[in-house]
Amino acid sequence: MKGVPTVLITVSPEVSAQMRPPRTLYPKGFKIGNSLGRPGMRELQKQVLRDALNLLTQDTRPGETITIEYPEYGEQFEPPQVKKLG
Amino acid sequence: MTFSRKCVPFTPFDRELSKSTIAIVTAGGVHLRDQEPFNIADELGDLGYREIPPDVDSSQLMVTHHHYDHTDADEDINVVFPIDVLRDIESEGFIGGIAKKHIGYMGYTMQLKAMYEGTAREIANEIDKGSRADAVVLTGG
Repeated sequence: MKGVPTVLITVSPEVSAQMRPPRTLYPKGFKIGNSLGRPGMRELQKQVLRDALNLLTQDTRPGETITIEYPEYGEQFEPPQVKKLG
Repeated sequence: MTFSRKCVPFTPFDRELSKSTIAIVTAGGVHLRDQEPFNIADELGDLGYREIPPDVDSSQLMVTHHHYDHTDADEDINVVFPIDVLRDIESEGFIGGIAKKHIGYMGYTMQLKAMYEGTAREIANEIDKGSRADAVVLTGG
């Protein structure tokens, strides 16, 4: 296996960064369970998916998380934090 | 923010998206209604995964996962498993095609080593050998 290019859409950027994903899109303020947006918001869902796929062809730094704001999503949410040990 | 010091497993992508086939792998607990649900009774988590065919009717997909609120996914599975969205951008010519195999698993486990060294490798192998995907979109819950 030579490896398969991947891009992650995360709503928990700090948590998912621990797994060292190679390319990551964080749609800012989307809540858990809404990776692509809210139900029925197909135009927004398409834009999020296009933005994620575009990271495949851009010169992103391996491991970098790209944050994009989507005002049409509406109310925003704070992402979960990584629990600090000790 | 704390980052791991291990290297990032970066696979270059040297294709055009409009000629590329895309697969979806989700940790959101998505599976077909007639597939065995993930075992949410096991406190250690379910290490299995389900194959989802490319021609699936999205109304035949459901979520079994008890570590996030999937009310919105119950209403529109595309919020975690964007199969209809993928079809839309394929018809618009943004991508070249939809892979022959997609994967759902339950992204909660207390068996990290088994998930990382077992399930994840099995899923990668399914995608690499069986899906003809040029790239994969990963989603969580």
